[in-house]
Amino acid sequence: MKLSRLLLFAAVAAIPLLAVACGGDDDDDSAGGDAATATTAPATATATAKPSGSITVYSGRGESLVKPLFEQFTKDTGIAVKVKYGDTAELAALIAEEGSKSPADVFFAQDAGALGALKATGAFEELPASITNLVAATYRAGDNSWVGVSGRARVIVYNPDLVTAEKLPNSVKDLTAETWKGKVGWAPTNASFQAFVTGLRQLEGEDGAKAWLEGMVKNDVKSYKDNKAIVSAVAAGEIQLGLVNHYYLYGFLKDQGEGFKARNHYTAAGDPGSLVNLAGAGILKDAPNKSAARAFVQYLLGEPAQKYFSEQTFEYPLADGVAADSRLKPLAELQPPDLDLSDLQDLQGTLSLLRSTGVLK
Amino acid sequence: MVARVFRPRSRTAPAAIWLPGLLVVAATFIPAWYLAKRSTERGWDPWARALENSAAPLMVRSLTLALVVACASVLVAVPAAWLTTRAALPGRRLWAVLMAAPLAIPSYIMAMTVVDFLGPRGTLQGWLEPLGVERLPEIYGFWGSAFTLTAASFPYVYLVLRAAFATADVSEEEASRSLGVGPLRTFFRVVVPGLVPAIAAGVLLVVLYTLSDFGAVSTLNYDTFTRSIFVEYQTSFDRTGAAVLGAMLAMVAAAILAAELTVRGRMGRRASRRQSLMRPVPLGRWKWPAAGFLALIALLSLGLPLGVLGYWLLKGIQADANFPEIGLAARHSVAMAAGGAILTVLLALPVAILAARYTSPFGTVMEQAAYLTHALPGVVVALALVFFGISYARDLYQTTWMLLLAYVILFLPNALSALRASLLRQPRRLEDAGASLGRSPLRVLASVTIPLARPGMASAGLLVFLTVMKELPATLLLSPPGYETLPGLVWSRSTDALYAGAALPALVLVGLAAIPVALLSWRGDLGSLES
Amino acid sequence: MDRSNPEPLTCEGVEVRFGSLRAVDGANLAVAAGEIVALLGRSGSGKTTLLRAIAGFERATAGEIRIGGRLVESPSTSIPAHRRSVGLVFQEYALFPNQTVEANIAYGLGRGAAARVEELIRTGQLEGLAGRYPHQLSGGQQQRVALLRSLAPRPRVLLLDEPFSNLDAGLRLAMREDVAAILRAESMTAVLVTHDRADAMAIADRIAVMEAGKVIEFATPRDLYFRPANWAAAGYGGEAQFLSATASGGTAETPLGIVTLANSFEGRCQVLVRPEWIMPAPGVAVRVSARRFEGAHSRLTLAAPDGTPIAMTIASTAPQAFEDHFCVTVRQAVPAYPPAG
Repeated sequence: MKLSRLLLFAAVAAIPLLAVACGGDDDDDSAGGDAATATTAPATATATAKPSGSITVYSGRGESLVKPLFEQFTKDTGIAVKVKYGDTAELAALIAEEGSKSPADVFFAQDAGALGALKATGAFEELPASITNLVAATYRAGDNSWVGVSGRARVIVYNPDLVTAEKLPNSVKDLTAETWKGKVGWAPTNASFQAFVTGLRQLEGEDGAKAWLEGMVKNDVKSYKDNKAIVSAVAAGEIQLGLVNHYYLYGFLKDQGEGFKARNHYTAAGDPGSLVNLAGAGILKDAPNKSAARAFVQYLLGEPAQKYFSEQTFEYPLADGVAADSRLKPLAELQPPDLDLSDLQDLQGTLSLLRSTGVLK
Repeated sequence: MVARVFRPRSRTAPAAIWLPGLLVVAATFIPAWYLAKRSTERGWDPWARALENSAAPLMVRSLTLALVVACASVLVAVPAAWLTTRAALPGRRLWAVLMAAPLAIPSYIMAMTVVDFLGPRGTLQGWLEPLGVERLPEIYGFWGSAFTLTAASFPYVYLVLRAAFATADVSEEEASRSLGVGPLRTFFRVVVPGLVPAIAAGVLLVVLYTLSDFGAVSTLNYDTFTRSIFVEYQTSFDRTGAAVLGAMLAMVAAAILAAELTVRGRMGRRASRRQSLMRPVPLGRWKWPAAGFLALIALLSLGLPLGVLGYWLLKGIQADANFPEIGLAARHSVAMAAGGAILTVLLALPVAILAARYTSPFGTVMEQAAYLTHALPGVVVALALVFFGISYARDLYQTTWMLLLAYVILFLPNALSALRASLLRQPRRLEDAGASLGRSPLRVLASVTIPLARPGMASAGLLVFLTVMKELPATLLLSPPGYETLPGLVWSRSTDALYAGAALPALVLVGLAAIPVALLSWRGDLGSLES
Repeated sequence: MDRSNPEPLTCEGVEVRFGSLRAVDGANLAVAAGEIVALLGRSGSGKTTLLRAIAGFERATAGEIRIGGRLVESPSTSIPAHRRSVGLVFQEYALFPNQTVEANIAYGLGRGAAARVEELIRTGQLEGLAGRYPHQLSGGQQQRVALLRSLAPRPRVLLLDEPFSNLDAGLRLAMREDVAAILRAESMTAVLVTHDRADAMAIADRIAVMEAGKVIEFATPRDLYFRPANWAAAGYGGEAQFLSATASGGTAETPLGIVTLANSFEGRCQVLVRPEWIMPAPGVAVRVSARRFEGAHSRLTLAAPDGTPIAMTIASTAPQAFEDHFCVTVRQAVPAYPPAG
């Protein structure tokens, strides 16, 4: 009896704490006062009054990566940034569900597929030239509804102790050979992998993609949860090769030193295995504070932010004139297959294909 | 005394009870309403497509996993519960708490640590390397998921069984023994049949838990139905497809609930007549094997995850890793857990009173509806609330109140079972006495029923506190931008592969969640979980 | 309290049905003001169900229940329990475990009822226990608290459900006295349910015998004992033994000789001769065929001159208790009933 009273007391005592927690986020009403700017044409918007107030960003990119950057943005511009972190796909579903009433101004996505899917629902507004001019046409939407911020190349990660450089395959298509039986890893639920399969379907046709997937399954390919798990497994010698994005390796090298038993290998020019995907951002059509949102996206493409991505994540900066990490093959030298990244949104067929070939059960 | 057995209550509940009860249950229908709306917005094509895309085999996989996890949980929980309630085992109380403690560890953390430790070339393999072990058997897939989910969910069965052992009528066992039947045969002929309703209740919780789990199966790379819902969002950004799968899952869950209801109805409810005062059963030479069994369970379900988290933390400290600020996140988590607990218990009270005191099909429907939500993955419930909030409660949307509402809807069943059990334990004649003394039903509730239900309310509150503390998907989607929580930190750090950074909030989370578990086991009424 | 109304409680043709089972099947009862009535019957006779229907915890499927002349229960009317002015003392007392003796008694009273509570505590001789909790009281004390709690709001009728069944034999006798004294001190109209004949006889002004959901006899304890209205009710007033007889002009010819009749009857009949009504005295010679010593009394099985076996109870101190042959007579006027079948 005594204890239950104590608990009741503790519970009641927690209420003011709760009230504080609930009251802390009411200061975003000012954002609504920006409607005047919202009606002006995108191209001229940046020329008018200095943006201010606050914006809400839905970020599919990890908090530990982007938070310092966002804080720096606030310091530089006086624009407060409220961020909702989450899985890129779930945030895309969230924006779709919220519809025109979404409190978000900017969607900062981990991959082009999510941006393409939202573009298809008409959620984004056209970006001004001041932003789109910063990025090569390959790395933004054809209708300028979203723009790439940083890029990542598909590579084959390998364990240099187990595979010598000359034995490395020039194409992912070689991986179905007997030599690699049981020695290759992939992450079928990973969005980048699925974007790669979508690319494969476009390049090789449905039948070609299907044959390759079946060949891989027959060749006893190992499935992992995500890219990091693959790189770890390669370094540990669980497998010899893995289909991943280029930058995970450098995180491990930074943490564990140069002795880490994994290195990147780029497949030949135009091979589906050398697809480049990107993280990017779009401004929502019904964004409460568009001028500040534009300032934010512009900031992401500015030199400090681009350098930051390069240094922190070893991704390719996509704004013209900012160089990638010196250890990487330069962006200009990458010879990705000839694909429109916007087309990679059509993943429904990929999903069916992955299911029908037994890659996803 | 026929009159005492079936006593139909033709009297209707006062409006002050059924009206809020109705509102609360209506709120629990939000996910179902959302699923119905979304899954049919494009006709039946998405349904046909889902069936084509192997929805049925996936459901079989999910149900198989749920069944294996439930069986394994029962096999672990029956001896554990018996040893900690009936046997003369040294340190019985300590074991009792240890067996409940894995409740404090969320399944996604359990899975992360299992992979790290038991992976083919994980830490354990490293230890065994000198002995010539090159790699361990595959942990990914079915058996790894089954192991992880059993470790995370067997305490549910254990607690229900403990309560059943503690309150079972010992005179039945004494009668059996006096008729010359040995202790072992008595156990199987008298005790086990008496446990069936409790086992059924525990199995129901585990099955629903397993069906809705995403964290463990995604980390352990096993394709289940719930995982396919996430894949639907992730790869096709298709809300309709995901809703179709969610609706299918809800239908299967409804069938399971109906089956459980039938079992429960057939068994009847065994009221305990007196407390167990039986002398603890001496174990003799079985004492050490029994202690060893419990130690092994504790090692796997508790030692392993905590050990791995501790190891990550240590490594992180040595490497001078970048640890997140956790003070604010911890405060947020505690505030949400406490707020969620208070709100859920208060709102569950009218529903529990209706279910326990006014026998009508309506009360049963209400209760079952609340359980249905339990089988749905958190992300589906969260998106349902997003839709509801943005369309009908714009002022609440993206405030912590919306998050609290989500917790109420998600965890109403937990509170409900604890409250109902405590109400059913109260003799109804106390309320009749109140009425015969001229007090109105409401005043009787206020002066007799609710004060007597206080321990049950405390248990329910602690239980909800514990589960809110661990909840991830709804917390991520519904919390206001910038509102950091401990599960959120664990999630963001682990997706960024910053395991040292994830270990600190994970340990704090487990530590905070362990407080209600300890309080509940100390109170000895964790068994009020029984549904 | 409304003393002008002669009937604080009436039941007319009350029926309570559970599915196809008629637990109460057309029960009639009229209780006078200040009267204590016992509902006597076996398990399943419907007595508790009738009591609960009067209290407002079961619905009547037919008939009417009136309290103080006001219709409280019928198929179309049902006044909620708390508005009936009916007190109910529960078999297991149902004391609120979270409240003290004082708070339990005061539960049905409004504010400022301290004087009434104090008065009741005195009546129940519970001085000094007012601050205790129910689990700190003995069974008898709990019983009294339950009774006082129900009396406190001065209900028109007090119902008691098996009030003594949870008490051991010694306490039971004392509590009967206490309860009767307290009820009379409060001039309370009361209905108590019991399966124990001795309880009913000792405490009730009138006894209503219930069988199969019906009230088959409603009489004073003396009448129930000495001249029960019918064959079936006879067993509830004491041990019933029927002898075949031929009645004529106020007497009857029985195996034990000529006996005086308590009612007028002519021709072949059965007369009620309770074993203790047979006295050792000049009359008919009998032989003892079996004997059982039961303490204060001994129970003999007699063979009448025509061979009829007859049960007799006799004080163990009487010399005949140990003899094999003696003479007996029935001094008591006995009731006659139509022959069975």
